[in-house]
Amino acid sequence: MRLAVVKRDTKSKSMAVLIPLISFIVSLILGAIVLLASKSSPLQAYSAMLKGAFGNARRFQYTIVEAIPLLMCGLGVGIAFRLKFWNIGAEGQYVWGAIGITWVMQFWKFLPTFMLLPIGLVVGMLLGAAWAGIPGFLKAQWSVDETLTTLMLNYVAIGFAEYLYINAWKAPYGNMGTPEFPEEAWLTQVWGKVHSGLFIALALVVILWFLLYKTRWGFELNMIGKNPRAARYQGVSIKTNIVLAMLISGAICGLAGSMNTAAIAHRLTKGVDSGYGFTGIIIAWMAGLHPFASILVAIVIAALKTGAESLQIAMKLPESMGEVLQGLVLLPLLAGTIFIEHRLKIIKQEAQ
Amino acid sequence: MKKLLVLLVLLLAITSLVFAQGVKEAAPKADEPFKVGIIYISSPGDMGYSYMHDQGTKAAEAYFGNKIEVIRMENVPENDSAARAMEQMVDAGCKIIFANSYNYQDYMLQVAKENPEVYFEHCSGYLDNPNMSNYFGRMYQMRYLSGMIAAKMSPTGKLGYIGAFNTPEVVRGLNGFALGARAVNPKATITVVWTNTWYDPSLERQGAVALLNQGIDVIAQHQDTTEPAKAAVERGKYAIGYNADFRDIIKDDHVLVSTMWNWGNYMIPSIESAMNGTWKSQSYWGGLEDDMIHLSPISPLVPKDFQAKVMAKQDEIAQGKWDVFWGELKDNTGVIRQKAGEKMADAKMLTMDWFVEGVIGTVK
Amino acid sequence: MNQQTLLTPVVRMEHISKHFPGVLANDQVSLELYPGQVLALLGENGAGKSTLMNMLVGLYRPDSGSIYIRGELADIQSPQDSMALGIGMIHQEFMLVGNMTVAENIILGLRDLPFVPKLDEIKTKITELSQRYNLQVDPDAVIHDLSVGEQQRVEILKLVYRGAEILILDEPTAVLTPGESRDLNKIIKKMLNEGKSAIFITHKMDEVIEFSHKVQVLRRGKTVNICDTKEVTPRDLANMMVGRDILFSLDRCPFNPGGVKLKVEHVTVNNPLGSRPFLDDVSLEIHQGEILGIAGVAGNGQSQLTEVITGLLPCSAGKIYIDNKEMSHATPLQIIRAGVSHIPSDRGAMGTVGDMSVGENLSMKKYRTKEISQGGIIKRSFMRAFADKLIKTFVIKTPDQNTCVKFLSGGNIQKTVLAREIDSCGGLLIAVYPSRGLDVGATEAVRQNLISQRDKGNAILLVSEELEELQMVADKIAVMFEGRIMGIKDVKETNTEELGLLMAGTTTVRRDA
Ligand SMILES: Nc1ncnc2c1ncn2[C@@H]1O[C@H](COP(=O)(O)OP(=O)(O)OP(=O)(O)O)[C@@H](O)[C@H]1O
Ligand SMILES: [Mg+2]
Repeated sequence: MRLAVVKRDTKSKSMAVLIPLISFIVSLILGAIVLLASKSSPLQAYSAMLKGAFGNARRFQYTIVEAIPLLMCGLGVGIAFRLKFWNIGAEGQYVWGAIGITWVMQFWKFLPTFMLLPIGLVVGMLLGAAWAGIPGFLKAQWSVDETLTTLMLNYVAIGFAEYLYINAWKAPYGNMGTPEFPEEAWLTQVWGKVHSGLFIALALVVILWFLLYKTRWGFELNMIGKNPRAARYQGVSIKTNIVLAMLISGAICGLAGSMNTAAIAHRLTKGVDSGYGFTGIIIAWMAGLHPFASILVAIVIAALKTGAESLQIAMKLPESMGEVLQGLVLLPLLAGTIFIEHRLKIIKQEAQ
Repeated sequence: MKKLLVLLVLLLAITSLVFAQGVKEAAPKADEPFKVGIIYISSPGDMGYSYMHDQGTKAAEAYFGNKIEVIRMENVPENDSAARAMEQMVDAGCKIIFANSYNYQDYMLQVAKENPEVYFEHCSGYLDNPNMSNYFGRMYQMRYLSGMIAAKMSPTGKLGYIGAFNTPEVVRGLNGFALGARAVNPKATITVVWTNTWYDPSLERQGAVALLNQGIDVIAQHQDTTEPAKAAVERGKYAIGYNADFRDIIKDDHVLVSTMWNWGNYMIPSIESAMNGTWKSQSYWGGLEDDMIHLSPISPLVPKDFQAKVMAKQDEIAQGKWDVFWGELKDNTGVIRQKAGEKMADAKMLTMDWFVEGVIGTVK
Repeated sequence: MNQQTLLTPVVRMEHISKHFPGVLANDQVSLELYPGQVLALLGENGAGKSTLMNMLVGLYRPDSGSIYIRGELADIQSPQDSMALGIGMIHQEFMLVGNMTVAENIILGLRDLPFVPKLDEIKTKITELSQRYNLQVDPDAVIHDLSVGEQQRVEILKLVYRGAEILILDEPTAVLTPGESRDLNKIIKKMLNEGKSAIFITHKMDEVIEFSHKVQVLRRGKTVNICDTKEVTPRDLANMMVGRDILFSLDRCPFNPGGVKLKVEHVTVNNPLGSRPFLDDVSLEIHQGEILGIAGVAGNGQSQLTEVITGLLPCSAGKIYIDNKEMSHATPLQIIRAGVSHIPSDRGAMGTVGDMSVGENLSMKKYRTKEISQGGIIKRSFMRAFADKLIKTFVIKTPDQNTCVKFLSGGNIQKTVLAREIDSCGGLLIAVYPSRGLDVGATEAVRQNLISQRDKGNAILLVSEELEELQMVADKIAVMFEGRIMGIKDVKETNTEELGLLMAGTTTVRRDA
């Protein structure tokens, strides 16, 4: 006997609901096995994770704060993904956003202080867009493979940011990091830890949803993503749209970077490459590139992270266990999406 | 879309269950142990910086027994996670929280301001608050002594130093090492390579190899891995360890000596004062006199009489008769940075951004 | 040759039903195929022919009913299962992997393949088989580089390599030129002589008469007729399929050309890989109210001609004018804006986006206009009304307009392209093999439609491989051979022989300057 994965004749709607549910239960069970193996109670661990993520107002706020950049990076890469353009360079674009706002805050002294924040955000956006535009242009002009270019450009961006906060832009006193931004130019907090970036992120969701599902441009992106030859034949320029989509994708990731820097670190320093850009890829994928679905996925992933952190305290479990559990939840969820379109089949061994 | 809705509902259901359970949990009892939170930048298994801190934590645990309960968090990145970690510790009832890496300080200050009833101890930074101290040790004193040994044992007088980041702490340590070396061999040179890492075994090994290829025969370092030292020893060259006793780990006498921390000597009194309410905010910078730092046993390859000389210098420092940055200091471009007879103030040491004479390399 | 006397059929399908969202594709269909017999399976577009056959090869599973192979109940769950039973199918849409070689494609999906296949042995076997059946293909050639006819040969090789005894051929000649069809039919005959049996789906009535012993006709998922081929005429068959008489004659106004709509002047398109250019100094003109047919064996530059006019292929030399405006280097969008519609030869790869809905596919030419969008925003209600109108006029069989195009039957996908392009035609219509895959009724409708476009004053460039179709529809016929125009003839002043000679390139007639 052996198992085979066979395509379903039709997409099943009930499966689309059932399968994530089953995957989720499977991941809980898998996690429980690992927890039991390390001699801790799964129930306690899961309740600790939930409390860590949503247990009180403060924890909930932190989960939201964590979800904001994740959501934005997910939205950003999602646009490129619609064109089957595999932008895995969100991390670098995010970092450029952080560099951009730091540049404005530190050197554009001629601006009145109240202008620093909005202009910093815009400059961060523009730099993120420009950084994403490079692989977009290379792909459009000479079909240079984007997975490689976007990935490599991440490391260039991170390295450059490091050079800036360690060397060129380092604060005169103290260790690593640029000088702190003036306090009036920080992103304000609206509910406890939650900063006003939340509104920007949510507005972006609505804007993108409208752009992608209601406009002619969204229609064209859909065509290109699903059949580029047909799109070209209908007069849609693939080159222009790849560059355009990448500019927007990069602008959003860049905005995520500048926003988060103005809200949390208030300076360019270590930790600017926190992996939001990479996690954004998972978000876009799990949300099926749908902007509204991205909100929920971003919260779930952020909750996994903030929740896992509390395992160390509540259960005295090593940090790595938190990561194992996060992975165990993600894996079946991602794998489960396969079974919405495929089914498992048992093939009996023929007698020979 | 729909599947996510279901997920969310499920999550909410479980959340409510957990809350229900949470209500049952009683308020802390009176005779509960005093809770201490410790945040590490890496895992104590790294045999480096966090390992040495954990030795201090363990010393405290041994000292206080069941009067305290320690909550550790390791591998905490230097971003918002740090703030979250500290707040969770506050929520878990910690009365004093230690964090061991420089870039935690902004987040610690922020959490400290919001939680005035908890004491915060930040290692290696400069920020403070009525309920937040910073503390560090004068490791440069040990580096000076290790520099003496390195210069003594080097046939060529060409020494190498793997710099982590160009922070004042690293620059100061390197200068201490250079001054010690040139006190023994005035012609000695110290070549620097920067890795811009605290912990990256392969990169740090590459740095050492690059130096060794230039004919350098003693490698000192500021990172948390043993790789640079291993690279030197494998080629039959000498190495100076840091944090842990590398000679113990590598099992080779070519590791001449290691410069080590005694964090427990700060943590124990701090916790004690927090327990009895006498805790005070300070910027603490302890040296040999406080036993914050020490040298490992010196390798038998180093001549006995020279070992005695090193120990004599150590006594001189411990008794406060002399310190590393006393007297005339020239930087490596020939500019006189400090006149003869002057003693460098702590503030200057804490912002040091130049190299002394004999160092080949730049801070930027 | 009367195999009906043998009692056990090789294939017996009993009361098979298959339901898809919104359609009952097969409704209690039963079918019997006897050894050595050829059964022609007929029916209009969307009647359920492909669905029925896909269940026989395990791509779909029947909702109810049972399948017996050589008298034994068979549980066919996957293509591998059917392969093991000796059933092989040539699909309506190609199933080859484009960037792999012929040999790799042939062994792909074989169940008892060793982990590291011995490619040399496999290649020798392929060469052996291709000699036996007269199917020349290079086992090392990459599928991309093969013509449609060659690809079809690979599909057949796949069947014989796997030792299929029961052949299922779903419109195998739809994409082939008449010459290629003849070759293919010879091969199939040879295989039948070896005792294999076949089910043959086609919309070409002459093939039915030539090949089959028995005919089964489906309509809306149900069997409506089973009879011996000897007893019927093409006209009867057409009637059975669509349930009405097909006239095989078209109404048209007298030829009354207007001004020049499209002018192609000495156009050359270089072939970066080959030695001779795709198009070599091609000149032609089409007037308003005129249909210019392009005849020629596929691969002689017809598709390049249409692509250079529509801006999809760069023009190396020469000039193209639309309405006396030079458009030699215009983008596809500029060409569309100039009122040019284009029915491409490949409905799946270029004509439609399979994963988008029928409604969206129908709107793909007009979404930029006020009919569907306003200020850059697409009005769903406009789109819905627009699509419903086209679905009705062009009789596209689909559960609703939200169904993905890839779930339509082959002929209905073709109709979707036709509807969109004919409807949006603003002066010039370029139609490449427009009746490919259509049933007789729909073919008639399309031809009539092209003529009414002409009567309205539109210019039409019609590329076809069937001389008969061109002679029926076109006003003038240009023949292409090796990238050149061999001659342009008035339909009334030429005949099949002359055109045939031009198509073969062995002309006594000098090529027009
Ligand atoms: N995978 C599918 N999902 C949904 N509907 C389908 C699917 N496959 C086929 N159908 C529907 O089943 C019906 C029969 O389709 P089928 O492809 O069998 O027609 P056909 O007789 O082969 O037509 P044609 O001559 O156009 O190829 C059509 O209405 C089609 O839309
Ligand atoms: Mg079909």
